[in-house]
Amino acid sequence: MPRHKLIASESDVSIEVDEGKDNEFSLYYVEVEENSKGGKEKQATRDGKRRRERNGEVSRRRASEKRSTEMGNKRAEKKHDKHHKTTRKEGEKDRKRPRRRNADEEEAEEESSKEKKNIKNERTKTVKLEDEKEKDVKKKRKKHVKNDEDDANPGKTKQKDCQEVALKEKKKKRRKPETTSESESHSESNSDAESKDNQAVGVLGSLTPEELEQLKEAVDERKKLITTLKGKPWPMKKKLVILRESQEFVEKYEGALGKGKGRKLYAYKVLMMKKWMKFQRDLENFKTACIPWEMKIKEIESHFGSSVASYFIFLRWMYGINMILFGLTFGLVMVPEALMGKPYGSMPRKTVPRVEEASAMNFAVLWDFGGYAKYSVLFYGYYNNQRAIGWLKFRMPLSYFLVGVGTVAYSYMVVIRTMARNANEEGGGDDTSFNFSWKTFTSWDYLIGNPETADNKFASITTSFKEAIVEEQESRKDDNIHLTRFLRVLANFLVLCCLAGSGYLIYFVVRRSQKFALEGLENYGWWERNEVNMVMSLLGMFCPMLFDVISTLENYHPRIALQWQLGRIFALFLGNLYTFIIALMDAIQLKRAEEEIVKKNMTIWQANLYNGTVPDNSTALPITVHPADVPRGPCWETMVGQEFVRLIISDTMTTYITLLIGDFLRAVLVRFLNNCWCWDLEYGFPSYSEFDVSGNVLGLIFNQGMIWMGAFYAPCLPALNLLRLHVSMYLQCWAVMCCNVPQERVFKASGSSNFYMAMLLVILFLSTLPAIYTIVSIPPSFDCGPFSGKNRMFDVIQETLETDFPAWFSKVFSYASNPGLVLSFLLLLVLAIYYLQSTSKTYKRVNMELKKKLQTQNEENKRKNKLAALKAANELEQAKKAGEQCSNSASDLGVNEESSSIDEAGHHRQAGQNGRLIHPSQSQDTQNSEPPVSSAHTTTRPPASRGHTASGHLPGHPQKNAHSNRR
Amino acid sequence: MFSLTPEEFIRSELKMVSPAIALAFLPLLLTLIIRYRYFFVLLYRAVLIRWVRDCLTGLSREERAFQYILTHATPGDVQSILDTFDHWCSKVEFISNIGPKKGKILDRLLQEHCPITVLELGTHCGYSTVRIARSLPIGARIYSVEMDEGNARVAEKIIRLAGFDEDMVELIVRPSDEVIPRLREDFGVERLDLVFMDHWKRCYLPDLQLLEGSGLLGEGSIILADNVIFPGAPNFLRHARSSGLYEVRVHRATLEYIRGIRDGMAELTFLGIK
Repeated sequence: MPRHKLIASESDVSIEVDEGKDNEFSLYYVEVEENSKGGKEKQATRDGKRRRERNGEVSRRRASEKRSTEMGNKRAEKKHDKHHKTTRKEGEKDRKRPRRRNADEEEAEEESSKEKKNIKNERTKTVKLEDEKEKDVKKKRKKHVKNDEDDANPGKTKQKDCQEVALKEKKKKRRKPETTSESESHSESNSDAESKDNQAVGVLGSLTPEELEQLKEAVDERKKLITTLKGKPWPMKKKLVILRESQEFVEKYEGALGKGKGRKLYAYKVLMMKKWMKFQRDLENFKTACIPWEMKIKEIESHFGSSVASYFIFLRWMYGINMILFGLTFGLVMVPEALMGKPYGSMPRKTVPRVEEASAMNFAVLWDFGGYAKYSVLFYGYYNNQRAIGWLKFRMPLSYFLVGVGTVAYSYMVVIRTMARNANEEGGGDDTSFNFSWKTFTSWDYLIGNPETADNKFASITTSFKEAIVEEQESRKDDNIHLTRFLRVLANFLVLCCLAGSGYLIYFVVRRSQKFALEGLENYGWWERNEVNMVMSLLGMFCPMLFDVISTLENYHPRIALQWQLGRIFALFLGNLYTFIIALMDAIQLKRAEEEIVKKNMTIWQANLYNGTVPDNSTALPITVHPADVPRGPCWETMVGQEFVRLIISDTMTTYITLLIGDFLRAVLVRFLNNCWCWDLEYGFPSYSEFDVSGNVLGLIFNQGMIWMGAFYAPCLPALNLLRLHVSMYLQCWAVMCCNVPQERVFKASGSSNFYMAMLLVILFLSTLPAIYTIVSIPPSFDCGPFSGKNRMFDVIQETLETDFPAWFSKVFSYASNPGLVLSFLLLLVLAIYYLQSTSKTYKRVNMELKKKLQTQNEENKRKNKLAALKAANELEQAKKAGEQCSNSASDLGVNEESSSIDEAGHHRQAGQNGRLIHPSQSQDTQNSEPPVSSAHTTTRPPASRGHTASGHLPGHPQKNAHSNRR
Repeated sequence: MFSLTPEEFIRSELKMVSPAIALAFLPLLLTLIIRYRYFFVLLYRAVLIRWVRDCLTGLSREERAFQYILTHATPGDVQSILDTFDHWCSKVEFISNIGPKKGKILDRLLQEHCPITVLELGTHCGYSTVRIARSLPIGARIYSVEMDEGNARVAEKIIRLAGFDEDMVELIVRPSDEVIPRLREDFGVERLDLVFMDHWKRCYLPDLQLLEGSGLLGEGSIILADNVIFPGAPNFLRHARSSGLYEVRVHRATLEYIRGIRDGMAELTFLGIK
């Protein structure tokens, strides 16, 4: 059965089970609380029931004529004298007593002929029902013969069968040897009363309200069964069969059970409910279809396990974040500047200088981002320091600054929120204590849908078991620990060496590039100019491989190994990035020194300009110098942005080229050379590559870090990154599916997601540090960018406060920024954080304690259940012994089923013994929980054997539970 | 470009690819070396040492092995001969015998199935022949096929040294694809209980197909193929899996005498043609 359907039907049922209970409740307490009850609904249902019951009652009246004489008495007695009544109505079934009495009472109240007309009408309606029911009875009989179920619910339906069978076809009943003699005798007594009905009314009247009630109860039972099926100790096959049957049954009859008028409404309601369910399901499907790349990722998940899929999910998440960053920068910075700012060529900062004009449209612009790309909205330097632009009076510098701050703030918010959510899911607690249990029950990755991966997973589980056992043994032996420790230390030492080497190499390259920069980059080739980026990319690519090889020394569990690997690559990337940033800082200092010189030259140049021209005309600037010719500063901000863009581009290129060469080309070679090679390439030496989750994730994270760092100086970076992520989503999905093989040790990625997030947070912090440093401590260039002419970049805020807001606001602001206030606020903040942290800790501890409590409770329950089972077994033994003794008399009872003459006293004894007589307040509970004891002895047993249950006999109360034991 | 002297050209090349970038490839090199170190060891032991010794002694590798065994092992004692062989292969030189670990798998299979007629393809030095013959019941017979005459000579000496006569071991010096179709006529074989393949990996598949065609395989016959993962016989495995004639099991192990290279033996149980 499809999962959706199953869920839908379950939820359907769970709604209606409550109703059913309600009905039952009303049914059972009708008699007791009749006058006191004020609930309209219950009254209504009761009324309906009564009407139905009246049907039957008319037919039954003839059978119980002798009783009708006592009607008057009964009405008077009914409140007090239940006991008496029970004795009087022993021929009836115990649980029907209240209902029938009810009906009796009504009958006594209004014995009119009008009643009978109604009855006829309703009877015609119920005829159809009757037919259906008969069909079902037949079907069920087959089923029951097939599987002899010990449970109460099937038992109940069976019991119903029995009664109907007793009513209509008594011969068939004999064919069912598994019906207990007890129930037989019971139904016998029933039939005793109702056989007269048959004779009198015929087939038409056979659908008595009793049967309706039975049907209703059966439906309710089924519903209950469906909800509690999960917890039953049956084999899955049986569960499925029962579930399907019960659902069919419920579907068939629940609509039919409504009242005459309400039936249609009910059916309509059910129909609508189903339609609504279907709609919801479709909506879910539609939602899933709307999630971008969901199907792709699922497919990958099925082939490669969840760890590889987690990378792609992370990639998608990153894509979403970049989308928002892009939206911010694009919508609030780039587009306004392009639309409303001064056009290209109007100012020196918006023009390509004369020197670069020759090469401004070269092909290299595409990856160098020089030339026209450099003097466009893509970079910081292009923006003008005009306070408000266009007819909208758009505050460009302010917007630029706020977007810069906002992107970072948004990123922080998202990362931290995600981390918090993940932390909630983790739930805390160390669950390492049940290592083997965890391995047994949780090691399978249910998302795998590929046989090869499943094989790998299977193999990895077995090996992990072997390893775990070996580990366990070794931990007891404790002799090899020194070697392992030594190896781990050695591995870390090697990794450190490697890190130091790579750091030094980058340092060396950066120094060299500075030398090149001093001498003028034009004299050198492409290799020299891009040396830093190349070396960084190459090291970032190859060092993880080396780490991977080294980590085999350590012999960690793959999940721990992955974390170590991640940590190491993280250190490597971080070192590389920071070396790069330090080099960049040096470059900024150089540029600023250059700027000073340019500033001086500028005045000289202007003086020259004026000197040459002013004598002729003294009113205004006579000669307009073409902006391309105006000398200008080096604009370190644009330089920084450009460096980052280059870094991103070279990084992207390296990733893609590695993908194409390392994965695709290798796969092609392996596949096609394998036919003519002297060894097996696929299994042997080169083989296919595995997907490197840790490297890819870290690549992504650091890429994002660079975006955060450089986005302030190059607004185009989020756009570029978006492009990159989009392409790599498709490219990597394709590459994974076409040239990678599933990992040999497939493991689940659970728990590592927050690890990634933590790393992302660290990177975010580390990448905002230098950006904030540059913004706060270095004055902006004098002739480029939105903040030119200001002392610091954040002066734009103050400026806005002074000019755009009323005077009082700036006053308030200045008061608010009073150090005393700010300090106290900070203190408050710290206190609040401390408080929240301590409360969260407490909650965690409480959670842990609850968990422990649950565990202990479980254990206790288990013990109790065991005891109960033991006791039940003992009782069963005793009962069997007793049963053998009484078997003779019991068999007599069983055989003489047709002879409907059982004395009332005998029946009373029987009813008292076989019914598990429980107080009504308990009956609900006991029936729900369905103790194993009762299900244990619902099997064939003579009636006298129930001696032990008769102790709690409260004769006057409806014995609801009785029928669950009876067959 | 043409005006440059070769020296200048090289220098310009060197200048073009800066040393730093070259150094950045060092981790890759290290990775490759470490990851595939066992293959380098294998290359050294199986190719270089063999070449040097061949030049120095003028004897073939198999003859050197025989000399060593003759001087170190007890004649007639199978275990001693096998041990000496293992020692020579792991400590002195390298010959791709079945080795002790995979040999144990072979022994177990032999004990389980007790084959009466065994066909061995690729005798080489007779290590596996001796190993099989040791665990065979009385009256069983091995047909051992070897293409190379020099190897066959050495193998015969070793088999005799181990104390097995011609009734037990029949050495056939001919290529396997010639032998298999004629087994029934020339040697009167009706049914093969066990076929052990350890010759050219390329010949696994054609020989298997020949065996299928010859009708010598009966239900329950076992075909054991060594080295199906390294150097590997992918086509053989593919055929065995896809044809539906066999129940395939691959015993995973490592390459003989070298620890780190994964290898496996394929055990094919012939299910019979329906």
